[in-house]
Amino acid sequence: MTPTLSRIFRGLGAALALLAVLVYVGYLIVYVVYAVDLFRWPFDYDQGEGFELYDAILYSQGEWPYRDNAVYPFYASNYPPLFHLLIVPLFPVFGQGVIAGRIVSFTATLVIGGAIFVVVRRKVGGGLIPLVSGLAFFASNYVYQIGPLCRMHLTMVMFETLAIAFIAEFEHPRHGRRNLILGLLMLLCAGYTKQMAVFTVVAALSYVFLRDVKRAIAAGVVLLAVTGTIFWLLNVSTEGQWWVNTIQANVNEFDYRQTVFLFGQWFQLHTVFVLLAAGHLVYELFWDRLSAYSLWFFFSLGAGALSGKWGAGFGYFTTAVAAACLTSGLALGRLRKVGCRPKIAGRRVPVAGPALLAILVPVLYLLQAPRMLHIPTTGPVLGSLARVLGVDDTLIEGDCTTFQYHDTMGYTQLGHLLTAGDYAVGEEILNYVRTADGPALSEEAMFSLLVDEPVVTNPTQLLNLYKNNLLDTTGIVERINRQEFGVVIFRAQFYPQPVLEAIGQNYRPVEHLCMNGFYYHILWPHRRLVGHPEFSDEPRDLVHASFPAR
Amino acid sequence: MLFASRFLPPNTHLWPQGCTLTWLCYNVRAMVTKRQLGIVVVTLSFLAILGITAVDFIGAGKWSGFGPLQRVGIGLSLAAIAVGCILVRLGDRPA
Repeated sequence: MTPTLSRIFRGLGAALALLAVLVYVGYLIVYVVYAVDLFRWPFDYDQGEGFELYDAILYSQGEWPYRDNAVYPFYASNYPPLFHLLIVPLFPVFGQGVIAGRIVSFTATLVIGGAIFVVVRRKVGGGLIPLVSGLAFFASNYVYQIGPLCRMHLTMVMFETLAIAFIAEFEHPRHGRRNLILGLLMLLCAGYTKQMAVFTVVAALSYVFLRDVKRAIAAGVVLLAVTGTIFWLLNVSTEGQWWVNTIQANVNEFDYRQTVFLFGQWFQLHTVFVLLAAGHLVYELFWDRLSAYSLWFFFSLGAGALSGKWGAGFGYFTTAVAAACLTSGLALGRLRKVGCRPKIAGRRVPVAGPALLAILVPVLYLLQAPRMLHIPTTGPVLGSLARVLGVDDTLIEGDCTTFQYHDTMGYTQLGHLLTAGDYAVGEEILNYVRTADGPALSEEAMFSLLVDEPVVTNPTQLLNLYKNNLLDTTGIVERINRQEFGVVIFRAQFYPQPVLEAIGQNYRPVEHLCMNGFYYHILWPHRRLVGHPEFSDEPRDLVHASFPAR
Repeated sequence: MLFASRFLPPNTHLWPQGCTLTWLCYNVRAMVTKRQLGIVVVTLSFLAILGITAVDFIGAGKWSGFGPLQRVGIGLSLAAIAVGCILVRLGDRPA
């Protein structure tokens, strides 16, 4: 290649690199816009956020959330405690609102992106590959949608990423022992954030085993001993409810078709990253030594395989997304190294490797970028950008409204921005809870928490336990039959069948409200409606009618 | 002993070296080789195939063919056996 051509290629590569960085920074900006919009929203955006917050509130009051679900308030948590404990210190700053949990989760995603950047930069050097590898994590549709939610999944991924980053350096001549201990600590934290971290534990210990059998066995024994001791203490302290609620209740039905669908979707959205990571794994398996990162990518697919479980979803692939972003960066770094010093038949061949790679790397990133396109299509900035990209007229059909949001995933329940109408309806629902003459039986906890009412039931946990023959519904059915609850608020109606039947016999819908794209069904006890002049079989807007004082 | 030595890396000691709490029939700093990894992968894959096919024969005489999940499992196991065989051929290189 002539020097002139080489200069042209390098110039073109620099321009493409700048474009790639701008595109991925754009994704980060869209992510921050969505996160800030969520921070202002006081209600559940995704079902379950309020229950995670309530677990944190219970910890702040010195109480366990692992309880007997057959006893009022029929509530228990099905997750380990660490995420909730991380929220507690934010209460004095943000109050006991769901924003505290969302900030913890959002911060966790920033740590993940930063960790990916640091690891790739240390291994590969340069600027473009580490920067885009870190930004790519925020560009993922999956991370975008659940990153700023008050859910623990991405906090688990944060601990997993840090664990792998430390464990990968356990043979460091000076800091090897420290790295191993910190890595094991991060694995412990990951496991006590969410149980699914077991796949990363296996990946990390497998890596150590491949390199130093004795240390791997010692590390595994220590980790097992500490984990087991904490597990035992939790179970003893909660009189066995820890085991029932976090282990037994999480054994759910499995639909392999959901797993197959989600694997296909994950691959379609993250194609270039997945192929690069898989290629790196194959290369190390046959031609080099397996790294902790490749092993992590491989075992993270196991977490994805569990996505067919009832209640699971694409969030189970976020570990694989982080692993793919990191490992793909290493793969491109290796490609760049080989391309700069190619040898054929043992002789160094003068080729245009560096110049071609200067174009190839940003081109790969730019080929990947549109596969993950997700953007709200309203607002002066994002709306204009959506028009330029030709997706401004995309609408996503919710249950009762359409979202002005484009996502290459197709239909999504998450990711869109909230509207003034959503806030107004939220206040209407709160008014039902405030004016109820008994505690609210609400499928979302924030309606109770925002008016300082007790949180009654964790519906999906009740359903999990019921399906596993671990729940006595007598207590809750009796209270429903006595119409003790002043209002029932349904959304997805994920309750055990006996509970739904009892509600059907004792409560009647009075209004259906559309908020955040979902119907919320407000039900009153019959005792409140009998003799009411406006009562009829048709749900009416009764919220503004006059009622007997509470 | 000769049979075992074919699968163990060079300089492996079959007896404990020194007073250690955990001793193994390895040199204490031994790493797993590609051959050993391949053997483990092949063994686990065979066990997986046995388990997948045995599930249907527990209820004798009721075999009605492999379901889709079983086909996926067997397919992945066969691929893993191929990978394992290649790794075995790669010999004593560290995994």
